[in-house]
Amino acid sequence: MTANINISNDFINGAKANTPIGLSVFAYGAVLGMICAQKGVEIYQLTLMNVFIFAGTSQFIIVDMWNDISEIFTVVTAALLINLRYFLIGASLNPLFKERPLRDKFIYMHLVADENWAVTIERHKRENITPLFLFGGGICLFSIWSIGTYLGYIFAGFINDPSKYALDFAFIAIFTALCFNLYQGKKNLIPWLIAAIIAYVSEYLFGGNLYIIFGAIAGSLAGMILEEKKYE
Amino acid sequence: MNNAELYALIIIFLVSIGTYGLRLSGLLLSGKISNEGKIRIFLDYLPPTLLLSFVTPVILKEGFAGIVAILLIAVCMYKTKNIFLSMIVGVVTIAISRNFF
Repeated sequence: MTANINISNDFINGAKANTPIGLSVFAYGAVLGMICAQKGVEIYQLTLMNVFIFAGTSQFIIVDMWNDISEIFTVVTAALLINLRYFLIGASLNPLFKERPLRDKFIYMHLVADENWAVTIERHKRENITPLFLFGGGICLFSIWSIGTYLGYIFAGFINDPSKYALDFAFIAIFTALCFNLYQGKKNLIPWLIAAIIAYVSEYLFGGNLYIIFGAIAGSLAGMILEEKKYE
Repeated sequence: MNNAELYALIIIFLVSIGTYGLRLSGLLLSGKISNEGKIRIFLDYLPPTLLLSFVTPVILKEGFAGIVAILLIAVCMYKTKNIFLSMIVGVVTIAISRNFF
């Protein structure tokens, strides 16, 4: 019995912990809904993307390129390049899924977004949580995201520019706060600095979204090399 | 169903499969190799460096206000450990700078 209670608690706690960041997700979804309405995307197409892709930025890219929808290869490549970071995100979730059955991995990985991933990783450092925490967060974000997109779609004409209220900055603020919580001391300084610099420079040079991958790989490699030296 | 609708469905299908594949394969592959010390350190560094890579260019694009917002978030996190409060502090700072400066 206790085990069951703990499991459902993890689900609910995950959903609760993702509610603040949901504000940002809602605003982002509403903007996507608005653009969908303008571009002539049907509600069923928006729904299919929300359910099966569930990755905001790549949905924006697809809808952005909606007028050139016949260029299937270009659109798919652009969307998947943006989602490449999910490979690294998946890799970083390994400790959470340790000794979990394969079935859990197949089920819970679909609803992994940047937001519930970040919230889960940070909580996992402090508490012994299960993948249900991640999944609860995913369901919470999926609901908020979908409602946001539909309201944006329906009320496309009424919404003012959300950037005026800095709602687009909400998830940046939360990611920054979560990142501070992951700080473990001076040994992190140089790898973190390298990640930030490489991300900034590659965004400046190449645009797009690959800077996230470049920064993360550069910083993690630096951390690996520096810490390994200490053991020698 | 016209051609455009069919193309859209094909794209949604391929991106869905690809995105799920990326999410799952990252996890499955890291499970196979993560017992080695080196890789372990690399994987441990991934979460904070991914977060930093996400936020740094956006913060610097906000300019001075972005830096002020981050410092205030840092102070707020240090004092209160409250993520929601820290978010409010960051958003309000940026909203003020966008509307009044």
